[in-house]
Amino acid sequence: MSSLKHKGKGPQAMTANELRDGYSVWLDENLDWTRDYSKSLRTEDQDLIDRMQLKAETDEAKNIVVGTYFIDIESDTGKPARYREKFRVAGPSYDTADLLETK
Amino acid sequence: MYRYDEFDAQLVAERTKQFRGQVERRLAGRLSENEFRPLRLMNGLYLQLHAYMLRVAIPYGTLSSEQFRMLAHLAEKYDRGYGHVTTRQNMQYNWPKLPDVPDMLDDLASVQMHAIQTSGNCIRNVTCDPYAGATAEEIEDPRPMAELIRQWSTLHPEFSFLPRKFKIAVTAAEKDRALIKAHDIGIQIVKNDAGEVGYKIIVGGGLGRTPIIGQTLREYLPKSELLAYLTAALRVYNRYGRRDNKYKARIKILVQETGIEAFREQVEAEYATIDISDIAVSDAERERITSYFASPDFEKLDNDPAELTEALGNNNAFSLWAKNNVADHKADGYAIVNISLKPKELAPGDITAEQMRATADLADKYSFGELRTTHQQNLVLPHVKQADLPALFAALEKVGLATDNINLITDIICCPGMDFCALATARSIPISQAIAERFADPERQRLIGEMQIKISGCINACGHHHVGHIGILGLEKAGVEFYQVKLGGDASEDAAIGKVTGPGFSEEELLDGIENIVELYLVRREEGERFLDTYKRIGMAPFKEVLYA
Repeated sequence: MSSLKHKGKGPQAMTANELRDGYSVWLDENLDWTRDYSKSLRTEDQDLIDRMQLKAETDEAKNIVVGTYFIDIESDTGKPARYREKFRVAGPSYDTADLLETK
Repeated sequence: MYRYDEFDAQLVAERTKQFRGQVERRLAGRLSENEFRPLRLMNGLYLQLHAYMLRVAIPYGTLSSEQFRMLAHLAEKYDRGYGHVTTRQNMQYNWPKLPDVPDMLDDLASVQMHAIQTSGNCIRNVTCDPYAGATAEEIEDPRPMAELIRQWSTLHPEFSFLPRKFKIAVTAAEKDRALIKAHDIGIQIVKNDAGEVGYKIIVGGGLGRTPIIGQTLREYLPKSELLAYLTAALRVYNRYGRRDNKYKARIKILVQETGIEAFREQVEAEYATIDISDIAVSDAERERITSYFASPDFEKLDNDPAELTEALGNNNAFSLWAKNNVADHKADGYAIVNISLKPKELAPGDITAEQMRATADLADKYSFGELRTTHQQNLVLPHVKQADLPALFAALEKVGLATDNINLITDIICCPGMDFCALATARSIPISQAIAERFADPERQRLIGEMQIKISGCINACGHHHVGHIGILGLEKAGVEFYQVKLGGDASEDAAIGKVTGPGFSEEELLDGIENIVELYLVRREEGERFLDTYKRIGMAPFKEVLYA
């Protein structure tokens, strides 16, 4: 696991994995789940953060997503602070499947 | 090859049906994730960094061509066209979807396969010498014993919730290709002074965050006592193994804290309470299992047939491949063929569905329909006529499976690392690919000779870095990957844990450092010395000096 622990300070985003497909997802501005991190809601607004928390709990209970948690966001770059979370956003730097698709 | 009996078939069919119901209830919301998680893990289904991952068991690394075709089918139909051979001889799929997994398990069951006990705190899939049944070095084929352990340990009610996972490896040769000293229990088939065949039991080995080389628990155990003795050892572990701290819960910690002598006394005391006849396997049953592993009908052939010697003289690429990838077989006129899954362009251990099908066809044509996976993340065709080697090589070349680097510097063991694994701290695949690129020159690889580089993306050590001649551990600090180096590890019968050289490196520094180590070795080596031999002779200091130059 990354040496950087979640601090819960500064901008936050809510992430999870889809129950059916397992893919990483983030809550967007409409509080819908998106696989595209660039569309994710990253905010310091406590009201919004509370709504994100509620939405995550609701959708976990509805079995849409699993393993919801907040991640810290770098204020200057908008990227996740933790190295591990950066990887969840970027996807594998290598995947044999990508080679097969280019064939 | 072992064929399921009615009990195996029924068990797997019931288990698959149960899991289908569990997935349906999970998707319908009648099971919570907390309730479902242990159920999916018992069926080999993990939730990794980006997606689910299904780990399929390949008992003792032995596969039929039909089974390998099914693994190709799974890769193509339910995943993204490839699979990954693990360091425990299993096959992993990186992108399955939860609703598909019951169908995948049904498909696997149709060829007598499953994903049971590839996760959880139970006795995991038994691993084995990939040359079993083919090498003249062994006392006898160890797979009947491995199959016996598989049957005994499958859903064993007493050992399904151990303090931690439990891994068993077996071999019947003095030359260890199964890493038995780095397993919770390692078993070697041996002969006693009277010439009787039995087992040497090694206990308390393991890698992970606390690497320990296993110690001998019993020098000789009669064959009929195997399951009773294993039961005693597992009971002692189950009773005294630590459940308060998962990092100290493996049997290696118990053996270390107890001391091997005291641990042995505990096992023997427990053993004395067991009625061996309750669990002993009859000779008839052992013979029944053994009969499934009978050698194929080898033809009476001579070594070095004309087809082979001619090709060795005329075809340089074939000659180099044959020298590196082909091993001696117990039957004259036959050979053991290693198929490297370490071409420069793919991640170590990855194989496409197309390559799986091609290999299955080649196994049918040239190796009695049988193949093996290895803990070094390669494949083996165990029984190939020497006269067929040129044709086999040509066929492997066509599907990109003729890389001639077995046991060379680019035959790297590598875990999936941060690219796929939820536990990883750093990437490992790009490091292995960068090393493969840096040492791509085949001539230079051969000049360097035997060299085992092993890379893990975290301290859990799935990439076996502790026993690499050069071991590499990927770590991360403040968002930056760095790599710690170990030297002098040994995965053979002389198993040893490598020593950390010092502070870690960036990827670029690491590559230059390895280059410097290799260059120093080439300068300092004496006649016939492998890297490891030179390291043992001159020690860490000179290598450390050039590594940090």
